[in-house]
Amino acid sequence: MLDDQKSMERVMADEDTKITAKGVDVFYGDTHAIKSVDVNIQNRAVTAFIGPSGCGKSTFLRCINRMNDTIDICRVTGDIHLDGQDIYARDVDPVQLRARVGMVFQKPNPFPKSIYDNVSYGPKIHGLAKNKAELDEIVEKSLRRAAIWDEVKDRLDAPGTGLSGGQQQRLCIGRAIATAPEVLLMDEPCSALDPIATAQVEELIDELRQDFTVVIVTHSMQQAARVSQKTAFFHLGNLVEYGETDKIFTNPEDPRTESYITGRIG
Amino acid sequence: MHDAHIASAFDRDLESIQALIMKMGGLVETAISDGAKALEMRDTELAGTVRKNDKLIDALEEQVATEVARVIAMRSPTAGDLRTVLSVLKISGNLERVGDYAKNMAKRTTVLSEMQPVNSTGASIRRMTKLVNVMMKDALDAYIQRDADLAADVRARDTEVDQMYNALFREFLTHMLEDPRNITPCMHLHFIAKNIERMGDHVTSIAEQVIYLVHGEVPEDERDKADSTSYVSTAG
Repeated sequence: MLDDQKSMERVMADEDTKITAKGVDVFYGDTHAIKSVDVNIQNRAVTAFIGPSGCGKSTFLRCINRMNDTIDICRVTGDIHLDGQDIYARDVDPVQLRARVGMVFQKPNPFPKSIYDNVSYGPKIHGLAKNKAELDEIVEKSLRRAAIWDEVKDRLDAPGTGLSGGQQQRLCIGRAIATAPEVLLMDEPCSALDPIATAQVEELIDELRQDFTVVIVTHSMQQAARVSQKTAFFHLGNLVEYGETDKIFTNPEDPRTESYITGRIG
Repeated sequence: MHDAHIASAFDRDLESIQALIMKMGGLVETAISDGAKALEMRDTELAGTVRKNDKLIDALEEQVATEVARVIAMRSPTAGDLRTVLSVLKISGNLERVGDYAKNMAKRTTVLSEMQPVNSTGASIRRMTKLVNVMMKDALDAYIQRDADLAADVRARDTEVDQMYNALFREFLTHMLEDPRNITPCMHLHFIAKNIERMGDHVTSIAEQVIYLVHGEVPEDERDKADSTSYVSTAG
C-alpha cells in the first residue's frame, strides 16, 4: 500500500511540466514554418521530436533557447514558458537563457582548444567557479556526467578536436552540462556517429534525464523509441501527435503518424 | 494512411506472411469439414487424409514463425505493422491447434466406425462442426478485410458452440447411463465434442486478434461463457 502510494507520488512528480508552449508560430520571411503549436514538455524526461525533413521539428527546438533570434528573417510568435517564466519577455537575456537551456548539435563542434578549456569556458564566463579548484571540480564532474572522463582524464590539455567523433560529441554534452543547465536540447546528436558511439550517447541521454529535461530531435525513429518517454510527431509545421512514446510506436492515434513511423511517407 | 511502404520489399514480406495465414486457414477449414464428414459417413479413408494433411498445417505454422522472426529482425515493424506480425504469429498458433483437434477427430473416427452408432448424436456433432467452420471462415474474412465488427460478431457466436456442447454432454451422459455398451463410443464422441468446443475458443481468439489488429486493444469486456459442464453431476 505504502509502496503504491510512493510510486503514485513519483508518477505525479514526474508528470510536472518544465516547458509550456502555447500557440507558437514561426515564420522565415514569408514561409510559415511552425503552425500554432501547443505542447507541454515534461520535467526530467526525454522528449523526442520526430518528423520528415522540413517538418519544423528543429525550428521548434531552436525556439526553446531562442536560437532563432540569431536568424534575421525568423519571427517567433506565441508563448513559451520555462518554469512558468516567459522566455521571450523583454527582460530575459538570451545568453542567460541558453545557460539554463543548453544545446548539443548534429555535428560535434568542440572549440579548437584543449579538452579542459572546452568544458571550463562556459562556467568561467558565467562566473560559476570562484577559483581554479572549483573549476577543476566542475570540469571533472561534467566529464564524468558525460561518460567520457575515464577516456580523457590523462590528456585534458590535448585538443578536443583530436578525439573521435563519438568522444567529441560526449565532450560537447559535457560542455553543455558544465553550466548546470536545466534543459538540454539535442539536434540529431547521433547522426554523425557510428552505431557504438550512438549507443553510448543514447545510454548517456537516458542517464541525463535523472537531472535534466532532455528534448531531442532525431531522424531515427528507432532512436526516438529507444531513448524517449514522450514523442512529438511534426508534419508540415503542425504538431500532429504528442504522447507516450510506447503508445506512439504501437498504436498511434493519427493516420499521418502511423504512415510516418511505419515508413509510408517520407 | 498511405497503403504502401516506401520500402516495397517490406510490403512483399507482409503480404507473403499473410498469404501463408490464408493458406493455413484454407487447410484448417477443409480439415474441420472433412473431419466431420468422415465421422458422419464412417469414411476411414477420408479420416486418413485429414490426419495426413495436418502435417502441412504444422509445417506452415513453422514457416510463419520463421518469416515473422525475420521481419521483426530486419524491418523493426511499428504500429499497425507490428500488430500485423504479432497477430499473425498468434493466429497461426490458433490455426495449428484447430488443425490438431480436427486430426484427433479423424483418429477417433477410425475407432468409432467399427462400433454401433449412438443414435442422433451424429447430427448434433455435425451441426456444431458446421457452426465452428462458419465462425472460422468469418474470422479469417474479418482478418483479411480488417473488419472488427465481423470479428466481434464471431466472438459473440462462441456462446452457441458452448451451449451445443453442454447439450451434447448431457446427451452422452444419458446414453451411457442407459446402456453401458454406449460408454466406449460416447467417451470418444465426448472428446470429439469437447475438441470442437475448443476449436470455437481458438476461433474466438483469432477474432480477438483481428480486433487488436484494427483497434490496437484487445476487447476488455468479459465474454459470455456458456460451458457449464464443469459443474454437472449424475449423483442425487
